Amino acid sequence: MIISNYMRTEHRACDEIFAAAEKHVIDGDFEQAEKQFLLFADDTLRHFKKEEESLFPTFEEITGSTEGPTRIMRFEHEQVRGLIGKMAEAVENKDKDAYLSLAESMMILLQQHNMKEEQMLYAMCDRTIPQDVKESTLETMKAIEL
Amino acid sequence: MFNQGGLSLEQAPPISVVMKFFITASIFGLLLGLYLLASSSGLLTYSAYAYKVTITHFLALGVMASFMLGALFQMLPVIAGVVIKMPTKKSMVVHVLLMVGVFLQLFAFNTSISLLYLFSAIILGSALLHATTLMIKELLNVQDHSSSSKGMLLSLGSFTVAIVFGIYLLLTLGGYIKGDAFAQVKEAHYSFALFGWVALLVVSVSFQVVEMFYVTPKYPTIMSKYLVTTIAMLLVLKLIALFTSLPTVGIDLFLALLFIIYGVITLHRLYRRKRPTSDATVWFWRLGMGLLIVSMVITALGTISSIDEGLKMLSYLAFIGFALSIVFAMNYKIIPFLTWFHLSNQGYMEAPMMHDVIHPKKAKIHFYIHVAMLLAWTLFILFNPPMVDVLASLLVVLSFGWLLYHLIFAVRKYNYTQKHTEKMEW
Repeated sequence: MIISNYMRTEHRACDEIFAAAEKHVIDGDFEQAEKQFLLFADDTLRHFKKEEESLFPTFEEITGSTEGPTRIMRFEHEQVRGLIGKMAEAVENKDKDAYLSLAESMMILLQQHNMKEEQMLYAMCDRTIPQDVKESTLETMKAIEL
Repeated sequence: MFNQGGLSLEQAPPISVVMKFFITASIFGLLLGLYLLASSSGLLTYSAYAYKVTITHFLALGVMASFMLGALFQMLPVIAGVVIKMPTKKSMVVHVLLMVGVFLQLFAFNTSISLLYLFSAIILGSALLHATTLMIKELLNVQDHSSSSKGMLLSLGSFTVAIVFGIYLLLTLGGYIKGDAFAQVKEAHYSFALFGWVALLVVSVSFQVVEMFYVTPKYPTIMSKYLVTTIAMLLVLKLIALFTSLPTVGIDLFLALLFIIYGVITLHRLYRRKRPTSDATVWFWRLGMGLLIVSMVITALGTISSIDEGLKMLSYLAFIGFALSIVFAMNYKIIPFLTWFHLSNQGYMEAPMMHDVIHPKKAKIHFYIHVAMLLAWTLFILFNPPMVDVLASLLVVLSFGWLLYHLIFAVRKYNYTQKHTEKMEW
């Protein structure tokens, strides 16, 4: 379960930074909110990059399919990227209501995406990718930067 | 490529599938309020039995089953990776038969016409068994079960048992079968419906929703791993005990204690949540868990000593309050999200944001109405002051009316965006 454990830990870490940014927005501290939000955006986008450039291609190569769950996950990444852009705009404009409204959509979108990955895709990766390939994929992912 | 049938939508059913169940549930809730109002103001009189079973089934089937089946059509693909093919067609069959079946059943309870019992058993039974079997069939194919998907499977299994027993009870009441085991079947019917279907489903969903949406610490592994299976096993044991005339008190006590522990742990998770928002959905969850604990403490007391009728009624009220609170919490997350989600997936750049669909302040007002409604019924049960049941009934009407208005508002907003705003072709 090395893939599941590593990726799930990253999901949870992003959730915590997201919550911290939201707290600063509620408190009206937009300077700190922006810092935390940028941290969240960086970590989320780096996580996506790890999946799109390393994990998904490995999975697709082994299963011989690019039309399965990875296709849906890539599309959902695009949706999240779109929302990150809108949230960045809201935090820059210090627009509390818009930020909180977008944050609500982001949270549900991200969580339902994470659920699918954690319960299906990562479990499938752990089951189908050979151990040595899993280990090398994990090392590659750890080295990926934005 | 990413049009109405875009990638993400391959898994999510159309919004109309969920909406029609939620709107129907709210209408049934509204009708329940009017029924209560008519009887509390003396406009209509019923036998105590008809009154009790009518309210129970208005709530259990008209309101709860509609909400929960609608939510399951939406959540199964996300939580369990189960894709129900042709969801619009399949859900329409369930929806229409469920509506007709509930009305037939309520008329049967109030008129005791034999044929109505038969028709309601056939129509309602077909609607519900069709829904549970199609979902169970898909869930059985899941390879990697999470505690949530396993819980959903067991909850739907419990519902199936409750439905089969319900058909037996209806046929007995209609005089079509002798019904020698009526008392045991009735007890099993309630246990599987309330502890199995309703409570087990809430537990299963909460393992995902509470942790992930509110960013809380994880539930203890022992709980997420074994709770749903233990509850299901206890229900099976209870069934065996009922039909072998063995005492069921110990099982009821154990079940109640498990739900108390679950309620306390969920409240503690919510207390330690990382997300700072204290919107209405958090309050609905807190209230729901508090009421589950109250209901189960009274149930536990009832297993070790005799308790008066008033306390028993309070326990039922608390359980209803628990189930409705969780359903309302889910509604105020699901509906604004789906409205935004489907419209943005279809390429509408001006898709309304969640707060524009239902603003958190509106949901908070519903929370206050809901609390006032529960307090009014508590007052009625404990002290029975004059006119308070009329007020409580009015608050039921207001509560479901408020939700219905916002659901219709969301539908109108959805349709307006589709008709009057620009769509980007991908």
